[in-house]
Amino acid sequence: MKSFFKDIQKYLLTGVSYMMPVVVVGGVILAISLLGADQTATGLVPANPIMVYLNLLGKAGMALMIPVFSAYIAYSAAGKPGLAPGFILGYIANNTVSINGVDCKSGFLGALVLGLMTGYMVKWMKSWKVGKTLRSIMPILVIPVTTVFVIGMIYYFVIATPVSFLMTALTSYMTSLNSTSVIGLAIFMGIFAEIDFGGPVTKAVSMFTLALISEGIMGPNGIFRILVAVAPIGIFLSTLIAKDKYTPEERNNATAVGIMGCLGITEGAIPFAIKDPKAVYPACIIGNIVGALIGAFGNVTCPVPHGGFIVLPVVGNKLWYVVAILSGAIVTAILLKIFKKKLPVEETEEIKNSSAAATEGN
Amino acid sequence: MKIIGITACPTGIAHTYMAQECLEKECKKRGYEVKIETQGGLGIENELTEEDVSSADAVILAVSVSIEGEERFDDKAAVVRTDVDEAISHTAALVDRAVALVKGK
Repeated sequence: MKSFFKDIQKYLLTGVSYMMPVVVVGGVILAISLLGADQTATGLVPANPIMVYLNLLGKAGMALMIPVFSAYIAYSAAGKPGLAPGFILGYIANNTVSINGVDCKSGFLGALVLGLMTGYMVKWMKSWKVGKTLRSIMPILVIPVTTVFVIGMIYYFVIATPVSFLMTALTSYMTSLNSTSVIGLAIFMGIFAEIDFGGPVTKAVSMFTLALISEGIMGPNGIFRILVAVAPIGIFLSTLIAKDKYTPEERNNATAVGIMGCLGITEGAIPFAIKDPKAVYPACIIGNIVGALIGAFGNVTCPVPHGGFIVLPVVGNKLWYVVAILSGAIVTAILLKIFKKKLPVEETEEIKNSSAAATEGN
Repeated sequence: MKIIGITACPTGIAHTYMAQECLEKECKKRGYEVKIETQGGLGIENELTEEDVSSADAVILAVSVSIEGEERFDDKAAVVRTDVDEAISHTAALVDRAVALVKGK
């Protein structure tokens, strides 16, 4: 059972992995196309024909993210024959289907379910023992057609309605959040979004914010992208204000970690967290909560699944975004200074020796 | 002792290369021959050749996503499969496991 869930996690992560560049392209170009757009009653209208075209390009990326996601989930589970049915069924999940007069669009969540079902069905069909004549047409005819037909029917009669209901409920809930629940969301994200610094929990939260991006809700992703940068930048700052609590090697590494944080890569924080979890976890989590609350307060939005200062040009409410990252990082740094214990004596000696050596070198 | 392996993480920009570095460091420290292929955001880098695969004693697959060319190791006796995080957090234990597989047969 454990390996079953482990497999599913791997399939989903593979889907996310291939989807990521598609969303980044879509989000960035879409954001560029809306620079200087006219605010009208029907929404933003791009400023000129080139911008209209860029808008189309960006939307193409956003429209493809869902089919790519389900296709590569299926690919991960079943290999190449999973791709075609995965693309087609994911495309359906991202389009409105009328079932008994009710419009159903299951989006990201539907694509996730369809991708997994496709993967398992294709995997199962691949294991069939078939005759020689049939075998040659299995991968190009029997598997894709049967899979799309069978799962397509299951989707229409069983899955589409409940999943699209869930998705609609989620998106309408997220668009109508009142201030209390926004604070709740921010605190929740502050605690969990980066609790494993880019590991599986982070990726789960990331999938949630991605699902909302595909529905045009960029707020939670805005908060998430703040948090990506808080811990690494906070750790870097703390090595500046608490020099006596880090070895020279750690302080050297922290500079790289800080730069990675600005570029939206959290993972640099991992070695620090492993070495001293009792100090690093609480400091980072509290810093993250501060960053998340400020981001939520400033209505920060982000259309791309990448964070740090590098995405600043496409972020909504840029000033709050920067303030949120810096405040979170500063809080983390100060808490680290408080929580971290001084280095054991022999390591301090090392510092003295190495700084003495440095002075001699001069 | 020659250890080869593949690392791959979902985003393919950080964990993949950190895991590669950890494994290389740990194996070199022990004096093993080592070559780690990465399947990150840029696709396959430092690709394992047929010769690498046939001459290796143990294979470590530290991957959190599906990888390309896993069938290359179908004939290898000592293959350790795990996720990319373990290669970063518990490098030594992971290499121990691979070595134990080789010695066990």
